[in-house]
Amino acid sequence: MTTRDIVFVAVGVVTALSALLSVTTKHVVHAALWLLVSLGSLAGAYLVLGQELVGLVQLLVYVGAIVVLVLFALMLTRAPIGPHAEIDTPWWQRAAGAVLGAATTALLASLLLPLLSGATVDLDAPAATTPRIAQAVFGTWVWPFELLSVLLLVALVGAFAVSRLVLHREDPAADGAVRRAEGVRR
Amino acid sequence: MNLVLAPWLEVVLRALAVLVAFLVLPLLVGQTEHKVMAHMQGRLGPMYAGGFHGWAQLVADGVKFVQKEDITPARADRQVFRLAPFVALIPYLVALAVIPLSPKVVGATVDASVVLVLAVIGVGIIGTLMAGWASANKYSLLGAMRAAAQLVSYELPMVLAVASVALAAGTLSLVGIGNAWNPWWLLWQLPGAVVFLVSALAELQRPPFDMPLADSEIVFGAFTEYTGLRFAFFLLAEYAGIVVMSLLFAVLFLGGWHGPFEPWVGWVWTLLKGFLVAVVVIWLRVSWPRMREDQLQRLAWVWLVPMALFQLAITAVGVVVFPR
Amino acid sequence: MGDGILPGLVKGLGTTARSLTRRTHTAEYPDVAPALPPRSRGVIALTEENCTSCMLCARECPDWCIYIDSHKEELPPTTPGGRARQRNVLDRFAIDFSLCMYCGICIEACPFDALHWSPEFEYAETDIRDLLHEKDRLGAWMATVPPPPALDPGSVDPAEVTAAAKPPRGAAGAGPRAGSAPRAGAGAPGRTRGDGPAARPTRVRPESPAGSDRAAGSLQGASAAAPERPAADRAVDATKPMPALGDTGSPAAEGDSTQVLPEVTPDEEGRE
Ligand code: SF4
Ligand code: SF4
Repeated sequence: MTTRDIVFVAVGVVTALSALLSVTTKHVVHAALWLLVSLGSLAGAYLVLGQELVGLVQLLVYVGAIVVLVLFALMLTRAPIGPHAEIDTPWWQRAAGAVLGAATTALLASLLLPLLSGATVDLDAPAATTPRIAQAVFGTWVWPFELLSVLLLVALVGAFAVSRLVLHREDPAADGAVRRAEGVRR
Repeated sequence: MNLVLAPWLEVVLRALAVLVAFLVLPLLVGQTEHKVMAHMQGRLGPMYAGGFHGWAQLVADGVKFVQKEDITPARADRQVFRLAPFVALIPYLVALAVIPLSPKVVGATVDASVVLVLAVIGVGIIGTLMAGWASANKYSLLGAMRAAAQLVSYELPMVLAVASVALAAGTLSLVGIGNAWNPWWLLWQLPGAVVFLVSALAELQRPPFDMPLADSEIVFGAFTEYTGLRFAFFLLAEYAGIVVMSLLFAVLFLGGWHGPFEPWVGWVWTLLKGFLVAVVVIWLRVSWPRMREDQLQRLAWVWLVPMALFQLAITAVGVVVFPR
Repeated sequence: MGDGILPGLVKGLGTTARSLTRRTHTAEYPDVAPALPPRSRGVIALTEENCTSCMLCARECPDWCIYIDSHKEELPPTTPGGRARQRNVLDRFAIDFSLCMYCGICIEACPFDALHWSPEFEYAETDIRDLLHEKDRLGAWMATVPPPPALDPGSVDPAEVTAAAKPPRGAAGAGPRAGSAPRAGAGAPGRTRGDGPAARPTRVRPESPAGSDRAAGSLQGASAAAPERPAADRAVDATKPMPALGDTGSPAAEGDSTQVLPEVTPDEEGRE
């Protein structure tokens, strides 16, 4: 057991525990904050594994931006301080979530299968990992990468459309009023 | 300068030095702000504390803050409320630790230090969000929401501007970027520098981007409910933020330790340049009015992001045309 | 970001940078005494000798914050077979500065120049009751009353000078020692004509075209006349011209115990 092992285990436990807390807590904002801890310590896990850049990008993107957005969205709702029965998740959603989570876990765990045959990775090998990551992302995995960006673009356009869409109204007068308001805004 | 120390001793000494810098530099900036702002407004500023031109004013303020009662609102989310100041403060400590004053004078050497600095600065905003939400106060909530909206908008141009410099230098390490700097960058990276300065101001929530604090409309934004030491921590975080951003600007765009005289005085140059940037930050605060929320968003998305992308393009062209 | 914004921003930067290089306006008050304008209304001073207890000031005061007690005294006749005179003796004169609003009406109202503005303002108290200044305290403020500003060039002589130039009652034709001698010499720092408003009054009027010969001629008389004056009068007189003193100082007026001032001319009245 090296120091690295100990630190890794510690960080891993923090990650797993906070992830668990984030899905079990009944405070909706606490859930987001636990998610934050989980993602942050995941970045720590990357660091321990010698993937400095991945860890930092994890911190920059997930903690610094995504969770901020989540919190922002929560603040726009009427997220109460303390638990609230009305916005509690119904049991069937929880079940569906559990199934999905289990499936994802299994999928990721399958990556560990080679370990059974005794495969190892030398963590102390090269220091300059940044170029290698760049080559992997923009070489081998360029198509999934681009696909992801297209997905994000579609989401962006969709969000834009939703925010700008005027729903069809039964009442023609109200419709006209909305149109006029739209016209004024433009 | 080739002192060899036991590794643990070196770590302790470095950590101590960073801590001292973290406590002293923000006070220096704060005092400069007191004085520069006062004189820009035709006043004298603090004159009594400490005797000579009120040099100890901020120390006195600190003592005052310690004496104040630490109040947690009854309906607040206690743990989150109490944790928030530290979440806001610690990231800047980490950031300060990796910003080099010269290739030798640096708290901790990290490979991708520029990414680290950006990442932890992004984390700092979480403290404001937590504070705003946990206070159970509508002004705090409004402030936190404004802060989040502002941060999300300005993070992008800032990262792009830094990316441009990193691209130009061909490295993600601050020391490497500083070493690769040459005076032509002042021209070449000018749009990037402007973008960085503006978005740094916005991330620090300094005027003219102090919409999230806006004391004339929402009391003091996310910090409305805070008192005593916790409030002082938020203030310290703000000034530590100025220090971090100014030093970062000095290293990235002004060449940090490049300057006349012996190489070993490089850290003085970095500090001087950073101080100059801090004075500019103060100057902007004194001179310009606060921006409205929509103007703020417009500035970010209509001006800064395109400008940063344009900078990225000319950097790329420069790197290809004049390879090093 | 319209067109007009950038010049405006730059201008703003310029303005603040310029004031950075200029002197500040901060008054470092406790360390540096403020330069108060003449006629500053700091505190009200009382010349007890001039007060006749006429109560005009107390009645005019909008706040009713002046308290006056007095009683009448019989004075024995000065000449055998003469009539005994009565006069008012001031027992108490107090101004409550916690009520006073510094309107100055009392000073305007006083017909005998007994009240004066002094620029002293540092008399804050920790107990509000201490703001009631009794007559000894009000009298002590007299030492801080500045001399009045100089007259405008070409104006008529001050009332006290005209009055002093008149031959005293019962001494008509006593040419050379007519009342001007104690006036010029006893140092009433009278109003100097022709100097700027801020000029310090001088004991001898430097360039009074009409009275230069008179002043020069009376200098010798001055030193002779001065010792005759009552000590209390002199102390007050050093700081403040008191028109009444011109007459009380002169031997002819000595019997007049009521210390009535010579009549005050209109331009004089508007001065305080
Ligand atoms: S200044 Fe006005 S208020 Fe004060 S004592 Fe005189 S008359 Fe009264
Ligand atoms: S008006 Fe003048 S003379 Fe009359 S009582 Fe008041 S201070 Fe005395």
